[in-house]
Amino acid sequence: MIPKLCYFLKLLVFIILNNLILKLKLNIDGLLVYFPYDYIYPEQYSYMLELKRTLDAKGHGVLEMPSGTGKTISLLSLIVAYQKAYPLEVTKLVYCSRTVPEIEKVVEELRKLMDYYTKQTEAKNDFLALALSSRKNLCIHPEILHANIVVYSYHYLLDPKIADLVSKELAKKSVVVFDEAHNIDNVCIDSMSVNITRRTLDRCQTNVETLQNTISRIKETDAAKLREEYSRLVEGLKEANVARETDMYLSNPVLPDEILQEAVPGSIRTAEHFVGFMKRFLEYLKARLRIHHVVQESAPQFLKDIYEKVCIDRKPLRFCAERLRSLLRTLEIADIADFSAITLISHFATLVSTYSKGFTIIIEPFEDRTPTIANPVLHFSCMDPSIAIKPVFGRFQSVIITSGTLSPLDIYPRILDFRPVTVASFTMTLARTCLCPLIVGRGNDQVAMTSKFETREDFAVIRNYGNLLLEMSAIVPDGIVAFFTSYIYMENIVASWYEQGILENIQRNKLIFIETQDAAETSMALEKYQEACENGRGAILLSVARGKVSEGIDFVHHYGRAVIMFGVPYVYTQSRILKARLEYLRDQFQIRENDFLTFDAMRHAAQCVGRAIRGKTDYGLMIFADKRYARADKRGKLPRWIQEHLTDGSLNLTIDETVQLGKHFLRQMAQPFRQEDQLGLSLLTLEQLQSEDMLQKIAQIAQQA
Amino acid sequence: MDEEPERAKRWEGGYERTWEVLKEDESGSLKASVEDILFQAKRKRVSEGHGQVRLGMMRHLFVIIDSSRSMEDQDLRPNRLTSTLKLMEFFVEEYFDQNPISQIGIITTKNKRAEKLTDLAGNPKKHLAALKKAVDSTCVGEPSLYNSLNVAMQTLKHMPAHTSKEILVIFSSLTTCDPANIYELIKTLNALKIRVSVIGLSAEVRVCTILTRETGGSYNVILDESHFKELLMLHVKPPPASSSSECSLIRMGFPQHVIASMSDQDAKPSFSMSHLDSTGEPGLTLGGYYCPQCRAKYTELPVECKVCGLTLVSAPHLARSFHHLFPLEAFQETPLEEYEGERFCEACQGELKDKSVFTCLACKKVFCVECDLFIHDTLHCCPGCMQTDRTS
Repeated sequence: MIPKLCYFLKLLVFIILNNLILKLKLNIDGLLVYFPYDYIYPEQYSYMLELKRTLDAKGHGVLEMPSGTGKTISLLSLIVAYQKAYPLEVTKLVYCSRTVPEIEKVVEELRKLMDYYTKQTEAKNDFLALALSSRKNLCIHPEILHANIVVYSYHYLLDPKIADLVSKELAKKSVVVFDEAHNIDNVCIDSMSVNITRRTLDRCQTNVETLQNTISRIKETDAAKLREEYSRLVEGLKEANVARETDMYLSNPVLPDEILQEAVPGSIRTAEHFVGFMKRFLEYLKARLRIHHVVQESAPQFLKDIYEKVCIDRKPLRFCAERLRSLLRTLEIADIADFSAITLISHFATLVSTYSKGFTIIIEPFEDRTPTIANPVLHFSCMDPSIAIKPVFGRFQSVIITSGTLSPLDIYPRILDFRPVTVASFTMTLARTCLCPLIVGRGNDQVAMTSKFETREDFAVIRNYGNLLLEMSAIVPDGIVAFFTSYIYMENIVASWYEQGILENIQRNKLIFIETQDAAETSMALEKYQEACENGRGAILLSVARGKVSEGIDFVHHYGRAVIMFGVPYVYTQSRILKARLEYLRDQFQIRENDFLTFDAMRHAAQCVGRAIRGKTDYGLMIFADKRYARADKRGKLPRWIQEHLTDGSLNLTIDETVQLGKHFLRQMAQPFRQEDQLGLSLLTLEQLQSEDMLQKIAQIAQQA
Repeated sequence: MDEEPERAKRWEGGYERTWEVLKEDESGSLKASVEDILFQAKRKRVSEGHGQVRLGMMRHLFVIIDSSRSMEDQDLRPNRLTSTLKLMEFFVEEYFDQNPISQIGIITTKNKRAEKLTDLAGNPKKHLAALKKAVDSTCVGEPSLYNSLNVAMQTLKHMPAHTSKEILVIFSSLTTCDPANIYELIKTLNALKIRVSVIGLSAEVRVCTILTRETGGSYNVILDESHFKELLMLHVKPPPASSSSECSLIRMGFPQHVIASMSDQDAKPSFSMSHLDSTGEPGLTLGGYYCPQCRAKYTELPVECKVCGLTLVSAPHLARSFHHLFPLEAFQETPLEEYEGERFCEACQGELKDKSVFTCLACKKVFCVECDLFIHDTLHCCPGCMQTDRTS
């Protein structure tokens, strides 16, 4: 009798609890996960399952899930739950995002999650989360040591100049997440590349002089200090070495392993000698910039040349960055920002003498666009993104790379040189088909529409592009965002449209705003654009793929009811840096030039069109205006969640057909759509989630690559 | 409802992708089609409409018809304007049929201006004539939502508080040219308790969404002509009155129709008061309706007396708006599999093929989906019950 009663009571309590708690407690593969919302999307559940598997295996993962399906909260709730369940396995979550608004979004979600935790467990929250957004709220590092969650920008981990200050003490048992990681290879490359102009050298010159003065002043007042430094340098960088071996520090790619075991060479040990050394190096660089034709050479070639010309050896060059840091510390210089030029040069010296592969040096006497104006630049350009990210993969047990657009998934492990345990792409479950990708290949006159180099100046192509925009402006409500492949191309086309009178016709339907290279102008245009969308006038924003708008700005709901991508956004292929990189990729990773270029173009195209869909209640047209998109090699590189809706009937359309399809789509989407319509299909309650056939359906959402 | 809406010829229609509708069913419930969602909404509306609600029976409705360039679009046959005006004629008739003590006014907007086609009035004739005339007008320029709402507001704001003040916008364009901030106007409309509803002819426009949400109206976008008609007919029913609107007793006159024969020597032909401001019709008539208060003569009802301001109606008018207050109760929905009995619809005698059947709670007769909607939307009484009433 009594056990029965007990059971009954338990049941009762269970029912009461279940009714009280609206928010979800999930069982993900045996792990209790608190989820601070009433409903969950099926793909979120699937995403968490994959994530859990990755953490269990202590490996790396590549996960693609469309934006607006709650990646962030899925990541946070699972990893936090994992941390709570296995505090010894995972000690810290390092969440890297790209921009400040994105970081703020993460913090907001995190706050919700933490509130929910405190409410549920009624215990005091012992979790400490820390967000580093900008320099003005940059914090000192001892706190990071204790924080359980750190949210900051990529650069804190990838850029060797900053990573050293902020991230080197992160524990090995951390989970690192790179969100919006579709551009991570470029971030890696940028963080390792150095561009030196004449201006840099001039500023460096001033730096050297300041250093010299400071040294001579200190020598008079506090000579002991310099002597102390000298003896420390004789000892070498043993401390750093010990620290790295005992696993306290994240290794810095600028500080290669070998030099840690050696003492700083005699030639740059005293402060004066070092400054003299830097002077010599500077003079050499100045001489190199005095050229009239383009020079491209490898790092060993550069080192040989510098040895022949000014007798600078490879070894002291490698110690440059470390030596300068030590000097700046000894001289107790507070404002390091003033010395950015000389720091840059010292980094360059170390990198160029450390890595014989993966880098190239290109010296250009002028910019391609302005061949008459002398503006010599030395590009020390990294071609291998894996160099910068290697320490991250090597050190942390799990690194998750995730974004809305990571297709084709197999290319990221190749160019970043790591082995993931899970690679998966998730689709968006939808109660109604809210995205409508269309490939427009022809005008009504049957002339092919393409931004191909040979035909891009063609009058008929430009006119057809204009007609497309004009027709769309008449049927799409509120905002349209149009992307061009480059600023120059946009300028040419818009000028041509003006002459043909197309712009005037468009302006009857909508206002036109243009993104420019000037950030202030662009944000002004954006603001006005949004206002016009808000008050019913309607607007078109003309912008550029790879520009500020295409990367960071979301066009939710009425701010972007259609995105038009004019042409395929190939990167400017005439650039020597790019050519060198392509060559390197071909030789080192066996990635064909064309494959990489197409991959790069398609990820940017996907980014651009993805701007319009930021959630399940949102809807928008995605128009690819170039017949080349219809080819399988392009189409196949789009993310799965877009490809799924790209039927054979929406390839190579004419403008008229596009208008018909678009009209139909927009009418369908304008029909009332409430939350109940989503429930059970693309939005689940706990009970629905637990049903057998739903679990089966969920299993289909993730596609392993 | 007497004839099927004329279908466009196949070659005139747009690109239809009939196979897509089929495809979505095949892939299971993962992708419910928009039609399905729409149908559910329709059912819901029927069952929702039957609470104890107060209805604003005395309606003052301004219909704003967009006459801008976009009305020349031919996706409705022969073009949007002609189609809209034709439907409007039908709407006006239906409106007065169901709301005899209400008034309507028509505003058109084009070329950034708003123009009153007809003033608020309770007589359909004038409106119908104006609508017929408007077919020949040209559609130019952009519409102005602000200006047209403002024109409507200027009249509506003087209406007494017990009346239901409504604006219905038929909006074809996707842009509006406004002289001032429309959000200020929306606030004013809200304060004046004017309900604005919008029927969009092309797509969902943000400002309309806000406008209708703030003022408590509805916003729908048409799919095709028959859907357009359906949406328009929704506005025939009086909307529930807001709880804050005041109730008041209204004086009404029920004039008797005096028929004077030519043989009667005393009868003198006289002018009707309604002829004062209209020209063309014969002026002198024998007999008519005489206002019980001031004895002014009118030839048609319902009307507001021009002399003493009394609302003059006939008893059948009031009776016709009666069913709004006592609507037919919703039928019980049961899935077809669970239904045991003869599988034909009581009303149309067709076979029951839909997913569910509907049973009248009073007479236990069974109906199909289409008939269920027809009975609740149009007939307002159950044919099954009527039959049993008669036989008993």
